[in-house]
Amino acid sequence: MPEIGLTLVLVLLLFALLASGIWVAISLLGVAMAGMLFFTQAPLGDVLATTSWGASNSWALAALPLFIWMGEILFRSRLAEDMFSGLAPWLNRLPGRLLHVNILGCGIFAAVSGSSAATAATIGKMSIPELARRGYPEKMMLGTLAGSATLGLLIPPSIILIVYGVATEQSIARLFIAGVLPGCLLITLFVGYVVVWSLLNPKSIPAGELPMPLLQRLSRARSLLPVILLILGVIGSIYTGIASPTDAAAVGVVLALILSWHSGSLTRQSFLDGLMGATKTSCMIAFILVGAAFLTVAMAFTGIPKLLAMWIGELQLSHYALLAALTLFFIVMGCFLDGISVVVLTTSVIMPMIEQAGIDPLWFGIFVVIVVEMAQITPPVGFNLFVIQGLTGIDILRVAIAALPFFLLLLVGLVLIVVFPEIVTVLPNMMGG
Amino acid sequence: MRRFLDLLYKGSGWLAAGCIAVICLLVVCQVMFNLIDRLSSLTTGAAVGLTIPSYADFTGFFLAAASFLALAYTLREGAHIRVSLVVSRLPAAMHRPLEIWSLAFSLAVTAYFSWYTAKLTYESYFYKDLSSGMIAVPLWIPQSAMLCGLVILTVALVDELVTVLYGGKASYAAKGEKLLVTDDRILAEKQRGGGQ
Repeated sequence: MPEIGLTLVLVLLLFALLASGIWVAISLLGVAMAGMLFFTQAPLGDVLATTSWGASNSWALAALPLFIWMGEILFRSRLAEDMFSGLAPWLNRLPGRLLHVNILGCGIFAAVSGSSAATAATIGKMSIPELARRGYPEKMMLGTLAGSATLGLLIPPSIILIVYGVATEQSIARLFIAGVLPGCLLITLFVGYVVVWSLLNPKSIPAGELPMPLLQRLSRARSLLPVILLILGVIGSIYTGIASPTDAAAVGVVLALILSWHSGSLTRQSFLDGLMGATKTSCMIAFILVGAAFLTVAMAFTGIPKLLAMWIGELQLSHYALLAALTLFFIVMGCFLDGISVVVLTTSVIMPMIEQAGIDPLWFGIFVVIVVEMAQITPPVGFNLFVIQGLTGIDILRVAIAALPFFLLLLVGLVLIVVFPEIVTVLPNMMGG
Repeated sequence: MRRFLDLLYKGSGWLAAGCIAVICLLVVCQVMFNLIDRLSSLTTGAAVGLTIPSYADFTGFFLAAASFLALAYTLREGAHIRVSLVVSRLPAAMHRPLEIWSLAFSLAVTAYFSWYTAKLTYESYFYKDLSSGMIAVPLWIPQSAMLCGLVILTVALVDELVTVLYGGKASYAAKGEKLLVTDDRILAEKQRGGGQ
């Protein structure tokens, strides 16, 4: 099959470009250009320009720089510090202590934003300096952040579920509700893993604070109030229908500015630093997104994803074997393409297969999102890895190794929803319709 | 010349930041309008129907402008990410040739990209393409922001390539956000790399 050889050449080329130190976005553009130039007759330059223009001017994407800006403002205010000092006494008894802030913080923020890159950038910017100052092990800091930030995709509102719903004509509200329990399941798995790891490695977790009487703990918890107000404001604006999930990002920026002004940490300098920081980070992500979008289009021109999907279809697999094969397929695709592209590219080919096998398309949507979550933390193309490298300066391969246990936990979650499909279907069924 | 180029990169970065601020402002205004609408339909039973025309289009255009105009600034600040793990393990003598290769390759891609974006923008201008919203904007206007960003990035890459070829250090060397990489660790890694 010549397509297999072609795929291998492109994969090796991508590895070579990335390894030689070429910027990630440029490497993606380079591979896509090579793929189109050598294996198709399409007008390369024109497709490049139109695709890039189309991918970069989307309204839904505008939430990204705004959420990143919000994170920058919060990072420069006392809010993050307050949140940690408020939570610390409560998490004292739980093995793993403040590492759980990463998981719970991401879980809550995932309910505010629809994207895992924004979740990783916002929570990481606040939590990593605080955790590092307290001496938490780097591997666990990075792993919990990379792993839990993927929840942004699953916990509603989620951009990728909207895309899946539109592509497969499923009710988006039902998809959102279906994502709630699996999201809680994954949070439980992550928290459980951190607890077990901390019990096995008690020396690696820094000592907690002295036990505090309940009253004092409650009064310390008052410092959580600004963060809670911020989250309520953002979520509230979505569910009262005043703001769409994209608009809510701007509400978040305004609330963050008000809170940091109130706490006295907003100066001209900190405002400008925050804005420039957000400009840089969102430019980095947007450029990679442009590269990924062009790679996706180029791949569609070469016909590789379609052929692979058809090839799986011809194998006539059983229910579980089909799901296993699709998982493998999505993980491999997700190593090179971004999550939304994987969904858009493959649903049209895979959905008939799924329906023929008698698999509920609603359930399959959640299945795909969890697999795409796994793809966010696999190198060489994993957006959470990029964001965390941009944030910490630690190379994506090291981040990927730290995130490996969480990749396996996502796999466990996936197996659980395959064995117990009720985890996904029970809530939407209660909704009726 | 040096001062002009630095001003060009900085200026386009500031312009990009301005675009993000404008996005925020636009969206906040729209949310305010929604809120007023909601309140008025609660009290008087009729919505005022306030809305910013084509606001999704405008947000998208400002986003594209922000993303592309910031490219060169982000490059010089070291915020575009790359895989450094492999290169940093190689002997120090290899670093300069690899840096030249990276810059030359990126320059080729960016120059090609700029050329076809110029073509796209010119075609939009020539055929008078309009956006599809309530306010029809000639598409060449927002597209030229994308073009400017790419051209400035091309200039910045030429600038870096010349600097490195003349034996200098790239402006982004050892920059970028490093919340977890402390100076002594960079030093330790350098020593390890140098010892090999």
